[in-house]
Amino acid sequence: MDGSGPQNANDQLAADGWCVVPDVLSPSESAFALERLWAAADESERVGMPTFLPVLDPNASNVRVFYLLERDALFRELIQHPAAIAMVRQAIGPDFMISNFTANIARPGSRSMALHSDQSLVGPEPWLAPWAVNIIWCLTNVHRDNGATLFIPGSHRWRTRDDVPPNADKRLVPFEAKAGSIVVMDGRVWHTSGANVTKDEDRALLFGFYTLPFLRPQVNWNACLSPETQASLGPQMHDWLGLGVTANTGMATNLGYLEPS
Amino acid sequence: MAAPQRAEPALDAPPPTRDVGQALRDIANYGLAIVPGVLAGDALKRTREALYRAAESDAARARSQKFGLDYAHDDTNRRVWNVLSRDPLFEDLAFHPLAVEFVKGVLGWPALLGNISANITYPGGGEMVTHADQIFVPEPWPAQPQGLNVAWCLDDFTEENGATQFVPGSHRLNRAPGADDAGARLVAMEAPAGSAVVFESRVWHRTGHNRSAGRSRAGVFAWYTRPIYRTQENWFLSLRPEVRQFASEEALVLLGYKTQGLGLVNGASPA
Repeated sequence: MDGSGPQNANDQLAADGWCVVPDVLSPSESAFALERLWAAADESERVGMPTFLPVLDPNASNVRVFYLLERDALFRELIQHPAAIAMVRQAIGPDFMISNFTANIARPGSRSMALHSDQSLVGPEPWLAPWAVNIIWCLTNVHRDNGATLFIPGSHRWRTRDDVPPNADKRLVPFEAKAGSIVVMDGRVWHTSGANVTKDEDRALLFGFYTLPFLRPQVNWNACLSPETQASLGPQMHDWLGLGVTANTGMATNLGYLEPS
Repeated sequence: MAAPQRAEPALDAPPPTRDVGQALRDIANYGLAIVPGVLAGDALKRTREALYRAAESDAARARSQKFGLDYAHDDTNRRVWNVLSRDPLFEDLAFHPLAVEFVKGVLGWPALLGNISANITYPGGGEMVTHADQIFVPEPWPAQPQGLNVAWCLDDFTEENGATQFVPGSHRLNRAPGADDAGARLVAMEAPAGSAVVFESRVWHRTGHNRSAGRSRAGVFAWYTRPIYRTQENWFLSLRPEVRQFASEEALVLLGYKTQGLGLVNGASPA
């Protein structure tokens, strides 16, 4: 099962730019992960890292937790969960890096951010292939009213900014998934966070962001993971986080085909 | 599907120029520019000595590292990696105002220093696989170059001693060379010691063959990219601490310590 996910998920990812893989976590595992997430949020505040970022969110009902990998061994397991890695490989290929792993808890009253695709923020046009993929862990049920991510089906085929229609925001639809699912989103899909218009229902998502290995990660893992955390990770994770010396020369070793025989 | 476009008509090397505007036009037209006399006198002499000393030190301790783009059978090319950590003289090259001006002119700002390493060819060898420096970017390539190389000639670069060879104008094909491009016309980039040869990331090139009787040829290559790319050298693992401690604001940007959006620590710039 290396390198691919369930067939229907793969097909939907190719056609629409996103898919859901249900039941990756059991209900009790999801509930436990949500507990650990709130503990991580508390710990972030305790060490002086705010969980509200005005630059990202219009109001304080969005709780952001960064550096999940530093906070809890559970999150270090989720980022390398076989079901997630299978879908990453399906989306962007066998070689990748872990660029970021963050959480966004939309509490009642939280509102949308601006429409964007992750790839358009940093990648040069044309966007012909995915250079990145989001693996979104649903720790609660996710539906329109509690702030499901809104996305535009098929927008992964837009190659340049000129392809983005003026009424793009009218085409937004919510992805809906049960707690314990992962949602896979091609880096080219245009999306925004939804608004939580419920009275009393949180919507908790973890965003594992993976990119092709020649791209600079969003997080400088060397500088932000503690020596203890780095020591706890195996060679595979060191490679995926770019902690070692290999850096961006890996491809130069594969150029034997250019040599005259 | 149309056959791949060839690099025609063949261009010669652009004439050397000290004028930055002309050099930027040369980079646009030829893919490269030659700027003579940037390093001179004592600075050139001491930088050259520092490089040869580092290369000899690596060789004496069996620390020399081969490069994937050098031919496996050829041990005459000597590489010195991360010269930035070997002597402050190389900071003067990596962050030289002229180099930064070219980086801003070709790539924009902010940009990153991906690597700064040296290549010394010795008599009897030194050829390399013809390549473009941005081969890690999937094709089709974006319309603009994604990186820039500033090659500092610490010895005279001559056709005979293995001067870097280019296919002038090949950057306009906007693709990597393939198996069918073996016939592309390579021009040796001859330049006196102290010159900077500035080339954008799409132009095809390779190390020349050193067939001189006894002359080595040392060049330091500073490689810069747009800020979305991972650096070749992991500065946070390998940089000599004083480089960061005494770095200018511009140098901190180039090393990734001053950043926005990417390469963050605790949601903010590492320095």
